Amino acid sequence: MRPIAYLLLAAISLLGAVAAETRPHYGGTLRVMLQSAPSALDLPANATPAEYWDLSRTLSLIGNTLVRVDVQGRPQPALAVAWQSDASASHWQFTLRRGVKFHDGSAASPAAIAQILGALHSGWNVRAVADSITIESAPPLPSLLAELALPRNLLLKRNANGAPVGTGPFLVAEWQPSQFLKLAANEESWEGRPFVDAVEIEFGKAQRDQAIALELGKADVIEEAPQAASGSQPHSTSSVSLPTELLALVFPVNSRANDPRLREALALAINRKPIQSVLLKGAGEPAASILPNWMTGFSAVFSAQANPQEARILLADSHQPAPNLTYDLSYDPRDPQAQLIAERIALNAREVGITVQVSLSGAEDIRLVRVVLPSPDPTTSLSEAVRQLGLPQAAFSATAGGDALEDLYQTERALLEAHAVIPLFHLPVTTAEGARVRDWSPERRGPWSASRLSLADFWLSDLRSTASRADLPAQAASR
Amino acid sequence: MNRPPSATRYNQRIPHMRARTFSGRGLGWLSSFMLVTVFLPSFSSASPLSDTARQLAHKIAAASGPGAFALEFTNRSSLDEKSVREVRSTLEAQLHVEGVHIAKPEQATGLVEVVLSESLRNYVWTAVIAIGSDEKKVALVSLPRPPTGAAVAPVMPIAVKTALLFAQEQPMLDVALVEMPGGLRLIVLGSDAVSIYDRQGASPSGNSIGRWELETSLPITHARPFPRDLRGRLLQRGDHLFDVYLPGIVCHSTPNAVAPLNLACSETDDPWPLTPDDSVRAFYASTRNFFTGALSPGIGKVSNVPSFYAAAAFQRTNYTLWAFAAVDGSLHLVDGVTDQAIRGASLKWGSDLAAVRSNCGAGTQLVVSESDDTAHETLRDIGHDSLLAFEIPDRDPVAVSAAAEFDGQIAALWPDSAGNGATAIVRKKDTGWYEAYRVSLTCGN
Repeated sequence: MRPIAYLLLAAISLLGAVAAETRPHYGGTLRVMLQSAPSALDLPANATPAEYWDLSRTLSLIGNTLVRVDVQGRPQPALAVAWQSDASASHWQFTLRRGVKFHDGSAASPAAIAQILGALHSGWNVRAVADSITIESAPPLPSLLAELALPRNLLLKRNANGAPVGTGPFLVAEWQPSQFLKLAANEESWEGRPFVDAVEIEFGKAQRDQAIALELGKADVIEEAPQAASGSQPHSTSSVSLPTELLALVFPVNSRANDPRLREALALAINRKPIQSVLLKGAGEPAASILPNWMTGFSAVFSAQANPQEARILLADSHQPAPNLTYDLSYDPRDPQAQLIAERIALNAREVGITVQVSLSGAEDIRLVRVVLPSPDPTTSLSEAVRQLGLPQAAFSATAGGDALEDLYQTERALLEAHAVIPLFHLPVTTAEGARVRDWSPERRGPWSASRLSLADFWLSDLRSTASRADLPAQAASR
Repeated sequence: MNRPPSATRYNQRIPHMRARTFSGRGLGWLSSFMLVTVFLPSFSSASPLSDTARQLAHKIAAASGPGAFALEFTNRSSLDEKSVREVRSTLEAQLHVEGVHIAKPEQATGLVEVVLSESLRNYVWTAVIAIGSDEKKVALVSLPRPPTGAAVAPVMPIAVKTALLFAQEQPMLDVALVEMPGGLRLIVLGSDAVSIYDRQGASPSGNSIGRWELETSLPITHARPFPRDLRGRLLQRGDHLFDVYLPGIVCHSTPNAVAPLNLACSETDDPWPLTPDDSVRAFYASTRNFFTGALSPGIGKVSNVPSFYAAAAFQRTNYTLWAFAAVDGSLHLVDGVTDQAIRGASLKWGSDLAAVRSNCGAGTQLVVSESDDTAHETLRDIGHDSLLAFEIPDRDPVAVSAAAEFDGQIAALWPDSAGNGATAIVRKKDTGWYEAYRVSLTCGN
């Protein structure tokens, strides 16, 4: 060995006293801050994307679903260890994991699971049969496994106080609606006891306050605004998911902008690149498709290029706009980036001759919305996006050859050709973790699971700096 | 990792029902690829790429009809240049066969825009066919993406050599190569089974190393949940083939003479052997990922050490020196009389270590896992663990090799039964697959 290299290696090995164990430690309290302030621990159907991710991440610590989907969208066992269906996908059977208990000590028996699932889906006939449950539905359920993996199908009971009782890695220890949730490790978790002893979640924290808390070492995991992976915080790590949200324009039923050529002209007028680079700080991808490319691989077929010249030609053929007609563009005021993006879209529209006014009052003609793409399964995400966008549910095409990719493409193309939605961007979900936070499962930092924001496999490399909320002075804790 | 069970499994078929996977079809072939050759970054010339390119050409021709077309070809996928050239040349050749001739734009009657793209699971290739001002037509084809990447072992004066033994999607806890009747076998310890693989297709000349094919799988049943960070050992034995140690469970294979091979497991908190001759054992915490520190029997007068993740023994002139990687990040050196804690030397040391005999230096080195922890401070990508060899000439360990880096996290590191090497299990950062490496030390360049 070369002497210099040898000495250098030796010197490096003697620097400092910080260990870097590759194996997770047990103990400590993981401190999390979130923006949303839920008054109840459940997932409302009309949740905003921020609420959806926050509550999904929280409830997934408490409960389990029957199945999960992995990073590639393939079903994996959870409370069900095996499953089968008939050829029509109308009759499913799930064999349940044995010996699993709810946090209250009751058995997660087929009867208990069937009762919970049946209550969630009145259209399904859910029955307990020996060590299994069966699900029957008149309309076939070809994407049932992906559906069951969604957070809305977490198998949770409620205790007398309305708090969720599940089978997951953590149980509810303290719940102050809209403010604070403390979760304690479930020693009997069928997945193995989680590494941290507790998770404390403070709700209703503005992103700026979260960033300060992370900087001061008073939080371990926070949310960040979508931006290209930058590491805005020293001594922290940003986790940027694959795009799991769609920012789009939709036209309400009573919109005055009802000429398809006008809508197409508006789509061609929008220059997405500057919006992405400036307003979104490089995050996400310009989009002309509902589903992102990582789900389908064919988004290149739908061009997101601006073409003002073509827009003007289309507009000349359109019955609209009527002289002096101004279209109202609304946005979600809770979305910090929405107003600026809406104003930029209005500017692009005016450049081709469409008068658009950004407004939060009065009847809206165009709405800027952000929707969640909740599953790596493209069919499930497309159905969910259509529901959130308020579009008529698509009848999924079925080609003669049974080509799933071709079917998906034809379905999405049909949706877009109706010009009821103009996709703009696919956006990621971003979190930041403090320096002492480690993630046991590498896939958690990977593309799909990062968007799931699971904290169950986190562990803390340095337990000395743990100052849980309970340790803080009352005044500081209440701020 | 180590969440039992992590792979999709199915019941026996119910007569009128069939198993469904909504999205995993088409990837099953990957699980049969077991050896290094599978992970070559590009497909071989007789690859599915060419077949798929021909499929796309056929669809294009069906949409366009015969004629002269301009071709725009864009690669937005992770395919390497060689593969892209292969796809393009095959596509153009097949188009020609089907009557679609590639022409310059000014001489063409239409345009075909081909984009090689990909989703997480598949390569997806699209072709947009425009003829005059007519509506554009679209053709799509796809094929599964293979896992990518390979471990890197830097060449240094004293080198940690790594050789890939096996790879699979499901978690592995330990592996061992054993001679059995009929030839070499690979035994893989998973979270719920011991799987035995037979090598098929190896040529006597050594030109082909063949591939491992599953011969049998011996299930491991357990009533108590396993810890999240599940660890397990596979120990070769003299009077029978092997023993398996898992948290709260010990399994023994049936004696060699008994066929077929079987596994008898019992729930017990018996201590795990730390040495091949069982001279020192240690109790494992059945709901955690570490040894409690209680030794049975002790090392000389020392019968308790702090809780530890891994231990290794060095033969010295008159005694055996033991090194323990403690849960608190310190290194404990135990010589039978004293327990010496070293904290400053453990910078970047991981939780796993193994003693490996070599023909260089002191004869036995400590192979230690390292986490690329500085990434956390510099916001670089994390998750690239490495192995480094150390010697302990006096009190402090001294590095004697450069790091052998892996593209993922080291999930396990165990010494082999002969003490001449170790087995490292790595979870790949990009694919999530598990790879088992044989680790050895060599001297000089």
